[in-house]
Amino acid sequence: MRKLQLSWPVDRRTILKTSAAIAAVQFTSPYILKARGETPVRIGMVNPLTGVLSALAQSEVDGAKYAEAEINKKGGILGRQVELLVEDSANDVGTGVQKTRKLIDRDNVNAIIGDVNSGIAYAMSQVTNEKKIFHIVAGGHTDPITGTNCKWNVFRVCNTTTMDTSAITPELVKKFGKKWFFITPDYAYGHSLQDGFVKALTKLGGTFEGDMLPINNTDFSATLIKAKTFKPNVLLNNMGGLTQINCMKQFTQFGMQKEMALGGALFELESIKGCPPDAQAGWWDMEWWWNQPNVPEVVKFVADYRAATKKTPSARDWFGYVSMHSVRLAADKAKSLEGPKLAKALEDLELPPDVALQPGKVRYRAGDHELMPNIFIGEAHPPKSGPDDVFTVSALISGEEAAGSVADTGCKMVEPS
Amino acid sequence: MSTDVTIAAVAAARRPAVPRWVTLVVIWALLIAAPYWLPLLGGYTALAGRVLVFGLAAMGLNLLLGFTGVLSFGHAAYFGLGAYGAGLTLRYLVHSTPLAMLAGTLLGGLAGTLFGLLIVRRRGVYFAMCTIAFGQLWYYLAYSWNDFTGGFDGLRDFHREPIGFGPLTLDISEGGTRFYFFLLAIFAVAVTLLGLLVRSPFGHTLRAIRENERRARFLAIPVERQIWLSFSISCFFTALAGTLYALLNNFADPLALHYSLSGYFVVMCVMGGMRTFWGPLLGATVFVMLQDYISSMTVNWMSFVGTIFVLVVLFFPRGLLGLRRQRGET
Repeated sequence: MRKLQLSWPVDRRTILKTSAAIAAVQFTSPYILKARGETPVRIGMVNPLTGVLSALAQSEVDGAKYAEAEINKKGGILGRQVELLVEDSANDVGTGVQKTRKLIDRDNVNAIIGDVNSGIAYAMSQVTNEKKIFHIVAGGHTDPITGTNCKWNVFRVCNTTTMDTSAITPELVKKFGKKWFFITPDYAYGHSLQDGFVKALTKLGGTFEGDMLPINNTDFSATLIKAKTFKPNVLLNNMGGLTQINCMKQFTQFGMQKEMALGGALFELESIKGCPPDAQAGWWDMEWWWNQPNVPEVVKFVADYRAATKKTPSARDWFGYVSMHSVRLAADKAKSLEGPKLAKALEDLELPPDVALQPGKVRYRAGDHELMPNIFIGEAHPPKSGPDDVFTVSALISGEEAAGSVADTGCKMVEPS
Repeated sequence: MSTDVTIAAVAAARRPAVPRWVTLVVIWALLIAAPYWLPLLGGYTALAGRVLVFGLAAMGLNLLLGFTGVLSFGHAAYFGLGAYGAGLTLRYLVHSTPLAMLAGTLLGGLAGTLFGLLIVRRRGVYFAMCTIAFGQLWYYLAYSWNDFTGGFDGLRDFHREPIGFGPLTLDISEGGTRFYFFLLAIFAVAVTLLGLLVRSPFGHTLRAIRENERRARFLAIPVERQIWLSFSISCFFTALAGTLYALLNNFADPLALHYSLSGYFVVMCVMGGMRTFWGPLLGATVFVMLQDYISSMTVNWMSFVGTIFVLVVLFFPRGLLGLRRQRGET
C-alpha cells in the first residue's frame, strides 16, 4: 500500500490545487473568446514599438487610434464598430511575421497595417498575400514594396524613397552644390534611398562618397572624420529614428555644422525634436506637415488632435490616420471586407479633404498602389512660435511628378486567382 | 558538485515521481492534440509550431548544457545557419523541402563540428565567450552580404515545397494543421534519437563528465572527444530546428543568428529544467507563450519574462520540471 502511494503520490491537496488551477484558467482565458462573441471589424497593426524606430511607430499607432475613435463615433465601418489590435514587431522580421500570422489566424482581422521597417513590411506582405488579406504599409519606404515586388493586396501611404529623393535633390544641388557625402543605414530602406539619391545626383553631374552603417549604430566618429576629409557641400544623413538623432548629436559635437550643409530625405518631427538646437537644421522632405494655415481641414484636424492626444500630429500620425480611413473608404465603396474587393475599391480612390489634409487631389495610383500626396520641401530650424514649429515649408512638390510613371517603378500587378 | 547532489540526481533518475510512460503519453497526447485545444485557450497553430521549433533547438542545446555541463552561448549560430542553409537551398539550388532541410542541418552541424575542434579544451566562461564570438561572426556575415543573404532584411522569396513520396504528395505549402503535423513528425524522430543518445553508454559518459570531470578522466573517458561529440551532435539538432524555423516563416533573417537568441535558448533550458530531458521543451513553451501573450499587452514584455526567469532561478534552481523531480524524491 505504502509503495503504491510513493509511485503515484496524488493526494487530496494535489487534487485541490489542480482543480483551483483549472478554475483559474477559466477566468483568465475567456476574455479572448468573449471578444469574439461580438463581431467588430478588426484591423491589425504590426509596428516596431520597441527598438530604434519606436518613436515613429508609436506616432503611427497614435494616429490609427485617433482614427479608430473617430470612425466609431461616426458609425464604424459598414455599420460595425472598428477594433484596432496593435502588435509589437520589436524591429525583428521573424517576430513581425509571427505577429502578422497571429492577427490573421487567431484574431481574424479584416485588414493589416504595418510596418515602419521596410524589411518587415515586405516579409509581412508575403503572409498577407498568401492569406489574401488587405494590407496597407503605412510607413515603410523602400521602392520594391510598390515597385518590383508589388502585390495586388498591398497599398502604401508613405512615399517611396525615389519620390523623396527626386523631390529634394534639385533643391540641395541648387542651394549647396554637387559634392555629397552619405551616411546610410545598411538595410533595404538605406540602400533604396541612397540609390535614389545617387541616380538623381549623377544625372545632374555630381560626385559622392559615403558609408553604410548598421541600422542600430551608435558611434559615428569614424564616418564623420571621413566626411570631414572629403569636404562635401552637403552631408546626407539617411539614418532613421534614434540612430539619426545620435548621428546628428555627434555631428554637432564635432563642430561640423560650420563646414557643410545638412540635408536628406527624411528628418521627421519626432527626430528633429530629439536633436540639440545646433542640429535642427538642413533641407529635407516632410511627407506631411501640420502647419498648413491655408487649409481649413488641417487647422481643424490639428486642433482636434491636440485636444484628444495632447500632442501635435507628425507625418507618422497622419500615416496611421490615413491607413485606418483608407480601410473605411475602401470598405464603404466595396460594401465588403474581402481582401480582393477592398483592393479593387481602393485603386484610384481619391481621399476626401478631411482625410487627405492637404491641398490638391490625393489618390492611390491603380498601377502600383502608391498614394500620391504632395511632398513638403523645406528647412528645419530650432523652435520658433512653439515647440513643434521646427520646419518651414518652402515648396510643395506633386507626388505624381516625383514618382515618375508606373512603368518606371517596375511594378507588374498580378491579380488574385 | 557535492556528493549529495549527485546522489539525489541519480536517485531521481532511478525513481521518477510519475512513471515514465505516463509522462510520455501525456506529453505526446498534448502535442498531437495541440491544434485542437490551443485555439480554445486563445492560441493558434503557428504558435504551436514555433514552440516545437524552439523546443527542439533548446533540447539540442541541452544535450551540451544539461547533460554534459558545458555552457554554449552561441547556439543561435547553428540555428541560424540551419535556417539560412535551408533558405538558400530552396532559393538558389533546388525546390525541394527534404533537400533543403538536409543542406541546412549539414551546414549548421558541420560548422559546429569544425568549430568544436578548436574550443573543446576551453572550459567555463572561456568556452562560452568563444561560442559567442563564433556566432556573431556568422551574424555579421549574413548581415553584410546583401547580394547573397539579403542582409538585414533577411532572405526571402523562397517557400516550402510539397514533398513527394513516389505517387503520394504531402502538400505543406499551405501551413496550418498539416504543416504542424509535419513539424511534429520531424520533432518526434529527432527527439527519439536524442532520447536514445542520452540513455546510451555515450550519454552516461557525458553525465559522468558533467558530475566530475577529473574522475571521468581517471576512468579513461576521453573527455575532450566526448565534449566535442556532444557539441557537434547538439549543433546538428539545433541546425535541424533552424531549418524548420525557415520553413515555418518562409524566411530567414540575421536575428536568427544573433547571440540574443542563444541567450533565449539558454533561458528556455534553465527555466524548464536543464537536468531533465523534457525541461527545455517546457521552457520553450513557457517562453514562446509568454512572449506571444504579454507582448500583445505591453511593449515591456521582456521585463516580465526576465522577472519570471529570475524567480525560477531563485526558487526552483532546477527549473520547472526539476521541481517535480525534487518533490518526487522527498
